[in-house]
Amino acid sequence: MKKIFLLVSAFVVTNAFSQVEKGSVLIKNGTVLTITKGNLENTDVLVRDGKIAQIGKGLAAPSGIKVVDATGLFVMPGIIDAHSHIALDAINEATSPVTAEVWEGDVINPFDMDIYRALAGGCTASHAMHGSANAIGGQCQTLKHRYGTYEADALVMEGAPRTIKFALGENPTRVHGGNNIVPRTRMGVEFVIRQAFSEAKEYMEKWDQYNKSKLVKGFRGTPPAYNLRMETLADILRGNIIIHCHSYRADEIYMLLKVCKDFGIKRLVFQHVNEGFKVAPELAAAGAMASVFADWWAYKFEVYYSTAYNAAILVKNGVVTSINSDSNDLIRHLYHEAAKTQKYGALTDDEALALITINPAKQLGIENRVGSIEVGKDADIAIFNAHPLSVYAVPQYTLVDGVVRFDRKNDAADMRIMPDPKENLEMATLHEYNGHNHDACLQNTEFLFTAKIFGAFNQE
Amino acid sequence: MNFSQTSQRLLVACGLVAFAWAALAQEALPPVTRTYAFTNVNIIQAPGRKVDLGTLVVKDGLITAVGKGIAIPPGAIVIKADSMHVYAGFIDGFSRVGVTKPKEEQRERLKDPGNPPPERAGITPQNDVRYALNPADKSIEELRNLGFTVAQVVPYGNFLPGQAAIILLGGKSADQMVLQSRAALYSELTGNQNIYPNTIMAVMAKWRELYRQAVQAKNYESLYATNRAGLERPANDRVLEAFYPVIDQRLPVLFRSERILEMQRVLALKNDLKFPVLLGDVKEAWPLVPKVKASGAKVFLSLDLPEEIKKDDKKKDKPNAEREALEKRKAEMIAKATAQAAEFQKAAVPFGFSTATVKASAIPAHVRRMIAAGLSEDAALAALTTAPAQLLGLSDRLGSIDPGKMANLVISDKPYFNEKSKVRYVMVDGELFKLENKEARKADGKVNAGGAWSYKVESPQGGSGKIVIKDDGKGNLTGTITNSTTNRETDLKNLEIDGKTLTFSFDFAMGANPITINVSATIEGDSMDGSMVVGQFGNFPMKASRDPKN
Repeated sequence: MKKIFLLVSAFVVTNAFSQVEKGSVLIKNGTVLTITKGNLENTDVLVRDGKIAQIGKGLAAPSGIKVVDATGLFVMPGIIDAHSHIALDAINEATSPVTAEVWEGDVINPFDMDIYRALAGGCTASHAMHGSANAIGGQCQTLKHRYGTYEADALVMEGAPRTIKFALGENPTRVHGGNNIVPRTRMGVEFVIRQAFSEAKEYMEKWDQYNKSKLVKGFRGTPPAYNLRMETLADILRGNIIIHCHSYRADEIYMLLKVCKDFGIKRLVFQHVNEGFKVAPELAAAGAMASVFADWWAYKFEVYYSTAYNAAILVKNGVVTSINSDSNDLIRHLYHEAAKTQKYGALTDDEALALITINPAKQLGIENRVGSIEVGKDADIAIFNAHPLSVYAVPQYTLVDGVVRFDRKNDAADMRIMPDPKENLEMATLHEYNGHNHDACLQNTEFLFTAKIFGAFNQE
Repeated sequence: MNFSQTSQRLLVACGLVAFAWAALAQEALPPVTRTYAFTNVNIIQAPGRKVDLGTLVVKDGLITAVGKGIAIPPGAIVIKADSMHVYAGFIDGFSRVGVTKPKEEQRERLKDPGNPPPERAGITPQNDVRYALNPADKSIEELRNLGFTVAQVVPYGNFLPGQAAIILLGGKSADQMVLQSRAALYSELTGNQNIYPNTIMAVMAKWRELYRQAVQAKNYESLYATNRAGLERPANDRVLEAFYPVIDQRLPVLFRSERILEMQRVLALKNDLKFPVLLGDVKEAWPLVPKVKASGAKVFLSLDLPEEIKKDDKKKDKPNAEREALEKRKAEMIAKATAQAAEFQKAAVPFGFSTATVKASAIPAHVRRMIAAGLSEDAALAALTTAPAQLLGLSDRLGSIDPGKMANLVISDKPYFNEKSKVRYVMVDGELFKLENKEARKADGKVNAGGAWSYKVESPQGGSGKIVIKDDGKGNLTGTITNSTTNRETDLKNLEIDGKTLTFSFDFAMGANPITINVSATIEGDSMDGSMVVGQFGNFPMKASRDPKN
């Protein structure tokens, strides 16, 4: 009996990971932008079984290994997007202001063409996030862009820490407040988060108490009722889940810093953070990180006070900062987005490239695996024909775990994996709706605002 | 009055009497005997086991003798099934045949959609499909006429609508139909509109939570049962209790698993929670056969197949490289789907079939396509008989023609998988159904839907345009619909007329997601009155009138 209760209470998310395909390759004679250890010219990178095995000049190709001639090309670590919604079949469980129990890892869609498009932009990993409809949204999943597999599990970056989406401000208040459910105001958002944490703390203490009592011989008692939402929130309090919080305004950012401090939560990344420049020293002092847009704002009231210098100001204040896409379009050219920080803020090449490589890796807790070109790291590599911060840069090859997943010279027109055998070909060539569909944060919540069925959906 | 007129009238009168007597006999009187002998018939006892031109005796609903030179018991009704072919009755692993669809009722808006009562959340695993069975449902006869005698049926609803039952496709009452109640817990990984769980994410989370709560409640109940003193009384919870036999591995969970991702999510739940699983109506498992095999889940492949691309496609006259490439890929995908059963056979994974989403009349042709794509006839027969009997734990009663088994039989004039074969008799639990020659009762009384129609839909955005329907006179309908705003012409699918009711569907691209719109309308003269069901967005009234011919 004891054992079974232990099983229930000590539940950990387990996953039968699919076999990850790994490749070996020698990348010859490129300009290697390591990000963490400077630039190396005319240098080779040897990849064995998905890992970077050796970096140096004139490396001999082991027999039978594929060779990529990178003469005149730029070799950089695969780009990492800390905020994305591609490869997902569901974004928002918008029915409740707290949905910590839901998990994007359950709804991965490995057939999403956006994965391949991201690869074509040198992007090898993304943070598949829950949307921003709820104050406490669902758990997210860090993905590797292993496009070509039929198995959803194969995209999961094995061993990546658990993360969860929070959201402040207009989105959760609009989604829920409009239906007469707390939160209707920013005060309400803080209340919802504090209440959830308090309940989770109580839940955790009850279980701790119960498990402790059980050790006493002859103990008889009733266990607390199992609750997956509380289990998840308790895991945040235990420090096992990194919070990624959708936020814009300085006051709400500061609010969440205080809430997390009160509950002893240390791992916190703010997303969007358009007013991050106002609280950059506070963020740095708290060890909180920031993932921002390069120059995207004014799509709603709370995002008017913005500046393209945001990323640079955050970096100069010592905040670990990344630039994200939140979009199936921007994810294809995050290197352009990073380059904007040189125009607005004069960041160095390494600082600018860190925004889309090692820094997002740190925010996702995967910096020991990816984000730079170092021996021992995963061979997630993007190869460009020019310096990636140049406006002329075009990705040529993208490798994930040493497997070439994008090769510009062999880029078939139809890269779909599972075309629908019942597909109506009359409709197949129509362009996808592609208006203002950036910021997929509010995807799947349309029904809450409008009864339109044939009108254009406004995803923001 | 001349002689021939008189004789005609006499004949008509005799016919009427005979008809009345037959009707009386069928409805009021029990059969004179429940012993039947099928003589001079090719008996396919099981795949690979055949008796040429033998005798098959059935008594009181059971098979009593099979073979050559069998004595016909006195009083038996002798069916001279000369050179016909008799098989064990087919088993459908998953469908809603004979199940009444609950009426959609307007329900009050919930104040807190995040905390709905279980029945609004689609969480009613304690419900039993037996209460929704209708022995008069015409779907039973449709499927039985193809040789199906048994089906595992599930209640309507999403998420956890209730318990499945294995039913006989015969019988006068729901109880008579039921062969095994509580055969499986049924689940679909689909959420509720506007109510938690809404997305698949939340459905998955809620599934895990309910299961773990059930494990906890069950353990506490047994702890309490051993010694009640000093322990709080366990709460009654009919939802959680429904999971207990699943936790004990006594009851499997049957999931609709059509799409490859849906199936993977089911397998993820199975892997997390370790309970027995039946995969129902599998359509896209062909890339993952080893994974399915390793999971140990029991499989019912869908008898639905994508339509083959018609060779005489009218758009062919304009060569278009992009279109041809798309068509080629589509054809590849159709071929893969058609060869799915053959892949499972190759991998030695036992499987049954399910009819959940196939139009009954298409089933024989689809099985023949699977055979043409590499499935052996024996394996096809096994998937209809022995394999589902095994997978559902009914092998002691069903699946083969052996003495002692239930008298569930199908008799066709030619080997069943022959394109020209026709089912002549079906026996369900000893009750004989004789099939009329189908050509004789060609559809009549049907309205004519042909012509150009102008339609109007009452939706928030409105909508109007043209529907053009062509009737080739042989009962085959084709058509197109054109929206007057976009001027885009879309082919109509699944065009059918039943009496005065016209039904069809078509695809509509909304944003990036094509959705299927289903139309059902009643034709009265030159006017059509019906409704359009637009995915999850609702039901909109539609009216149309036939344009006068030029």
